[in-house]
Amino acid sequence: MNLLEYQAKELFQQMGIPILPSQRIDHPKDLKGLKIPYPVVLKSQVYTGGRGKAGGIRFAENTIDAIAAAQTIFHLSIKGHYPTVLLAEAKYEPDQELYLAVVLDRSQRRPLLLGSQAGGMEVQAAVRHIQQVVVDEEFSPFYARRLAIKMGLQGDLIELVSGIIEKMYRLFAEKDLDLVEINPLAVSRSGDVMALDGKVTANISALARHPDLAALREQLPRPGIGASTTLPSEMRLVELNGNIGILCNGAGLAMSTLDLVNQAGGKPANFLNLGGESDYRLPPNLLQERVQQGLDWMIQNADLNVILINLVGSVVPCDQIAAVIEVYLNQRRTGRRPTFVMRLVGQNFETAKQSLAALDVPVFDQLDAAIARAVVLSKD
Amino acid sequence: MLYAPLMKAYGTQVVAGVAPGHGGQRVADIPVFDLVEQALEAVGKVDTTVIFVEPYRVLDAALEAIAAEIRQIVLITEGVPPLDMVRLARKADRVETLIVGPDSPGIIVPGQVLLGTHPPEFYTPGSVGLLSRSGTLTYEVALQLTQAGLGQSIAVGIGGDRIVGSSFQQWLQILEEDDQTDVIVLVGEIGGDSEETAARYIAEAIDKPVIAYIAGRTAPKNQPMGHAGAIIASLVAGWGTEIGTADSKIAAFKEAGIPVADRPSQISDLVKQALSSINV
Repeated sequence: MNLLEYQAKELFQQMGIPILPSQRIDHPKDLKGLKIPYPVVLKSQVYTGGRGKAGGIRFAENTIDAIAAAQTIFHLSIKGHYPTVLLAEAKYEPDQELYLAVVLDRSQRRPLLLGSQAGGMEVQAAVRHIQQVVVDEEFSPFYARRLAIKMGLQGDLIELVSGIIEKMYRLFAEKDLDLVEINPLAVSRSGDVMALDGKVTANISALARHPDLAALREQLPRPGIGASTTLPSEMRLVELNGNIGILCNGAGLAMSTLDLVNQAGGKPANFLNLGGESDYRLPPNLLQERVQQGLDWMIQNADLNVILINLVGSVVPCDQIAAVIEVYLNQRRTGRRPTFVMRLVGQNFETAKQSLAALDVPVFDQLDAAIARAVVLSKD
Repeated sequence: MLYAPLMKAYGTQVVAGVAPGHGGQRVADIPVFDLVEQALEAVGKVDTTVIFVEPYRVLDAALEAIAAEIRQIVLITEGVPPLDMVRLARKADRVETLIVGPDSPGIIVPGQVLLGTHPPEFYTPGSVGLLSRSGTLTYEVALQLTQAGLGQSIAVGIGGDRIVGSSFQQWLQILEEDDQTDVIVLVGEIGGDSEETAARYIAEAIDKPVIAYIAGRTAPKNQPMGHAGAIIASLVAGWGTEIGTADSKIAAFKEAGIPVADRPSQISDLVKQALSSINV
């Protein structure tokens, strides 16, 4: 979960990472009560990069200029995102700009400290110069100093910058973050440092143990279809443009089934992963309930005319899954009703096949055969 | 305790269960204890533990097992906080403990032992070693291998969470040295760089034939994010920006000379080809 710049900076401030005096602006008229002396910078607060190039950062010398600039920024789309908040910040002229980050390295299974003297620019461009230090064992400040030296810093800057890295790491570890980035960290001739822009990404799996971060999530705009927000968090529905709905248990299986439908010339309308494939608890009827719930959401896609269900496992016998579909179809004897194609494996397959044959639902035990039928039916 | 009786029925020696507050009970004739150390006092040394606790208690449960000198740990639970896994990985490396998962169906050695949630009836003994990041897709591939008359020496779900305890490379090395395994099937999916890393490792260190399959070739691309940490980390690691896509993974396997199946049903054909070239 990405945080907005002003939210990231609030965390920086709590950790003692220096930031410029700033003020959150919810409406252009808030600028009349601005407590920061002019000139100021107004920055669009969006969950995407590239706002500088898009015109989402503007300077203002006085209140009139600032209000006009704020009105412009509020109406400026940055890669399709409009800000609901701006950040007004004191203007600052850095002598030098550094890049610093703490990220989690998936392959090494360790946090990584990243740093470069070529800060302030787009990350892609700066990447060539980025130095890294793996935090192998329990963090200690020497890891931060090691990075500072690798970055080529000398003299007082070594302690100064490694002090900031240490605070970034503590924030990263305390709040279970995926990323803490300061770009740029401004360094002045007098030896002061200042985090001019920051990025923080929180880890969704750990959100429940950080109520302060979870509260920020509540304020997030919910993108896409409203439906998915009321599905259990383990269930993921992705909307596409075709007419075949795909329902599977497990992410890998859902992707594989999606690929097969596409390869066979079908056009997926959406796909839903029921999740729970490696759930630590398995309450009875979980799978059946999720199938029912999942169908209710998938069917809201108006273009969908075929639903392909592919469930693989053996804990729930096939006939119990078939029973869910029977109930579902019997409840919808009138109105729009998509054609079902089922692929099931496990106990009581024949019973399931027979009971669904009565409802004209073909049931396959071979995946490729089920895919072929679903694609043919979608073209009727 | 749904899976413990299934594991036991398959022939796994499930000697004890641990569930705080339930000590003294029995489930499917398996004695239950409040603490791991109490279980070990009663039943003696234990090789492996399979952990099914809620995500925020996984680290603690695994540390408790390590403290009791259990050196193989299978984590079934999905959604363990990554920094908990970092702590566990640091500890496990120090004491040489093998961690499988989290978000994993565990390990099955067909006909012998089940440590996790694999549906045993999909598997049959044989010489194909199956490594995967998924749960149900692993079952699918195993079932199709079994139906094609290709039994398995072992199937391991290394886990779907972002930080997992053991890598493809570790398991490739184990299977390379395993006498029962003639050919290895690696089932990957989009996201992360574990398939790219595995492909490089196979080219350097694995002599047995490997067949790969990647799920998610046609999955919609993720929304581009500003400065994503993953991109930075992968760029720094020298993988380029296209890391994690199906194209990047398939290209990595092809470059390493590893056949990539287009679909699960093609895996058995490629395995048969690999086996026949060994036997020549």
